[in-house]
Amino acid sequence: MMEDLWLGFVVALQPINLLWGLAGVTLGTAVGVLPGIGPALTVALLLPVTYGLDPTAALIMFAGIYYGAMYGGSTTSILLNTPGESATIVTAIDGHQMARNGRAGAALATAAIGSFVAGTLATLALSLTAPWMVGMALAFGSAEYFALMVLAFVMVTTVLGGSGARLAGWVSLMLGLALGSVGIDGLSGQARFTFGVPYLLDGIDPVIVAIGLFAIGETLWMVSRGPDTDHVVPLRGSLWMTRDEWRRSWKPWLRGTAIGFPMGALPAGGAELPTLMSYAIEKRLAAAPGEFGRGAIEAVAGPEAANNASAAGTLVPLLTLGLPTSATAAVLLAAFQQFGLQPGPLLFEHEPKLVWGVIASLYVGNAMLLVLNLPLVGLWVKLLAIPRPWLYGGILVVASLGAFSVHRAAGDLLLVALVGVLGFVLRRVEAPIAPVMIGLILGPAAEQHLRRALSISQGDWSVFLTRPLSAALLAAAVAIALFGVARGRPAPVRIEP
Amino acid sequence: MRGVTFGRALALVLLAATPVRAQATLTIVAPAAPGGGWDQTARVMQRVLAEIEPATSVPVDNVPGAAGTIGLARFVQSERGNPHALLVTGLVMVSGAIINASPVSLADATPIARLAGETEVIVVPAASPHRTLADLIAAFKQDPGRVSWGGGSAGGTDDLLVRLLAEQVGLPASRVNYIAFAGGGAALAAVLGGQVTAAVSGYGEFAGQIAAGQLRPLAISAAARMAGIDAPTLREAGVSLDLANWRGIVAPPGLSDAEQDALIARITRLATSEAWRQALAQHGWEDQFLAGAGFRQFLLAEQARIEAVLRRLAATDTAATPRFALTITPTMVPDATLVVLGLVTASLVIARARRPAPASPSPGARMTVILAATLLFQPWLMLTAGFIASSTLLFAVTASSWRGIRPAPMILARDLLVGVAFATIIYVVFTSALGVALPSFSLLTSHFSLP
Repeated sequence: MMEDLWLGFVVALQPINLLWGLAGVTLGTAVGVLPGIGPALTVALLLPVTYGLDPTAALIMFAGIYYGAMYGGSTTSILLNTPGESATIVTAIDGHQMARNGRAGAALATAAIGSFVAGTLATLALSLTAPWMVGMALAFGSAEYFALMVLAFVMVTTVLGGSGARLAGWVSLMLGLALGSVGIDGLSGQARFTFGVPYLLDGIDPVIVAIGLFAIGETLWMVSRGPDTDHVVPLRGSLWMTRDEWRRSWKPWLRGTAIGFPMGALPAGGAELPTLMSYAIEKRLAAAPGEFGRGAIEAVAGPEAANNASAAGTLVPLLTLGLPTSATAAVLLAAFQQFGLQPGPLLFEHEPKLVWGVIASLYVGNAMLLVLNLPLVGLWVKLLAIPRPWLYGGILVVASLGAFSVHRAAGDLLLVALVGVLGFVLRRVEAPIAPVMIGLILGPAAEQHLRRALSISQGDWSVFLTRPLSAALLAAAVAIALFGVARGRPAPVRIEP
Repeated sequence: MRGVTFGRALALVLLAATPVRAQATLTIVAPAAPGGGWDQTARVMQRVLAEIEPATSVPVDNVPGAAGTIGLARFVQSERGNPHALLVTGLVMVSGAIINASPVSLADATPIARLAGETEVIVVPAASPHRTLADLIAAFKQDPGRVSWGGGSAGGTDDLLVRLLAEQVGLPASRVNYIAFAGGGAALAAVLGGQVTAAVSGYGEFAGQIAAGQLRPLAISAAARMAGIDAPTLREAGVSLDLANWRGIVAPPGLSDAEQDALIARITRLATSEAWRQALAQHGWEDQFLAGAGFRQFLLAEQARIEAVLRRLAATDTAATPRFALTITPTMVPDATLVVLGLVTASLVIARARRPAPASPSPGARMTVILAATLLFQPWLMLTAGFIASSTLLFAVTASSWRGIRPAPMILARDLLVGVAFATIIYVVFTSALGVALPSFSLLTSHFSLP
């Protein structure tokens, strides 16, 4: 194993491959920052161009784009409240509040360093445990996924806020669930809540909803309260993280990594669930959970680490099974195929130099990304010094651009405006925003897995208890529910995302 | 040597990043997200065309959604009469258009050619007791519910194959316990983990695991044995059925005969080129080239066959009595959500009504309404006046409404100036450097359209 990795470094550290890696991470950071242009589209655009290139070099560049986009994606979330992709939705909740409080530098730094820590540790885990992780991931059937979703629901209900806002929190959650059930039902092919509009058949994209709720809803809310109530401080205190912020960040980084990597490795994984769970866990463990939603650094450090770790986790099923679990992984798979390579159990045997070269280049790419991103922090923070009317004008233009370029559908523009108005109304009635996202992300997945599990078992509900892994997850959910009650920590008064 | 390759490739990357003003363009619309089969087909075509028609620039445009029918609808509407646009299509679009009750179907487009096909394969885990297709069919006939079939989305090729197979062995299509996954990849994980009895997908999805001996192929859906695949065809295994997940190319409606012939000739040149053959081999696609009238015939036959099985499926579906009291129907969860949403909203309203309403003066109420109206107006404005104009307006309105007062002409002029500069920079970066089209002026006839 170590020999393989050594071989990989020999490949990755060749000057030519270092150059390709650098090109990849730079490009990746750029597309991560640009709204609506994700790594999937970038790699797809470059695919035909790189035909005829050495496969190792091309794949090193593509992997760099993937990792780079994960770094860059948090920037718009933090500065402009506009998440560019689903992985950074959670980051926007507290990250932008930090920016408004003059701690944008710290938020960007904790995101970058956390991404580095998580990316490096997760890559290490990828090189050491990939074959073992696959066995675990395959043991996950629909019953286990459903149990995991239940666990996630139990954990994130804390985000619903204290007793005062609990009822409003449920309204938000149910709104999210209702929005999530729009579109073609994945199991039966039946259209639900589409009212005959073809645009709605594919459902509602969480990224569009997040842009509408966060960026547009917030701007409308600011405008309605008049200019005197808005306090954005470009910079308070040091540009970099203070000693206290370091102290509050390192544990969330590690916990985020521990959550993100295994969940990213699950065949039905993705970055939404781990980032959300990291947020919930950090809130549970925080000394001052009331700060969550108002700019808690843990709420940026944890989810950002989870996001990057899950990106590495995604490579486990891709390299060992040939199984893409995200849009970007699907394009990477297409890239492998273009070079006549078949990812899967035999790839490690047939192409060790390539596989380990790509893995080793991830370590190198992570280091490059840290060096590339930290100096940018100072530059980004200057953006917040732009006169306020122009800053908000810019935010709305970027938000509508982001909403449009995700699918390049004008319907998304209408949707994002409507959701923005909804976000304003929710703020007006003092309902929390985060539960809408939770319902929208977790709801459809939980329903699908529940129905799929019951379909496989032919309607027998006992599968959730007779399958050991599923039973263990459900037991953990029950334990956390009870433990949370027993702990009796006073819940925060209100969450104001 | 390597340095030369790097330099050349870097130049290519840079070249791709700058606008190439070639004399001719041929847009290929891939009605799916990047990464899928249709997208791959489009991008391989793009690459091969760059080789055989260097003077033509070939942008690929992804319009994902609803089994490709959103892309099809947009293509048929906005490209009518345009001989420089092609749409990638395939079997899934035929069934998708029927299932989604799409207002347009492939019959509305001009068939150009079928290009490639991929055979489907039925697999079981290596440890499965089912050694042959006959074993599996025997178990299936004995208790259809106990045999779960994993595959891609409902109504897709994999689903159709299992339903057609059931009908061939004398079971109603609705008795199939088909477990739809997000794609062949997710079904792969389920069959490897033993979650489902068997799985069905394109051969390529399972090729790695079959080669490694982790999956046993029981039968392929091709009409004849295929080189390099050690599995009988369905016909050899005693089921008179064949199905290919074919992909092809259609042009917009309203083309003259000459324009059609020219396109067919170009695609024929592509499909018979050496580069295309190599690409087919690399992707494991079978050459199923069939152009012009032959393809039109094929499309009609395919449409009829799929419509028939889907109709029988829908008919038996409603007649089938629920076997389990606790089965969750597709409408149950959304309905329950709506009921709970109604209840909590009602109780929230009641709770708030008891509380004295907080006197909350909204100093910016008027400005909020103006801004919200501008936002709702955006989609229409962007499509008619273009990205730069609509964004400039949005920028200026936001800035003014944030100030909360009627802006002085000088301030408004400055806002507009900054807005137009900002929007122009974004526009140039996206359209020229990234090749991502944003609506420009007078794009009333563009392919961007409201739902």
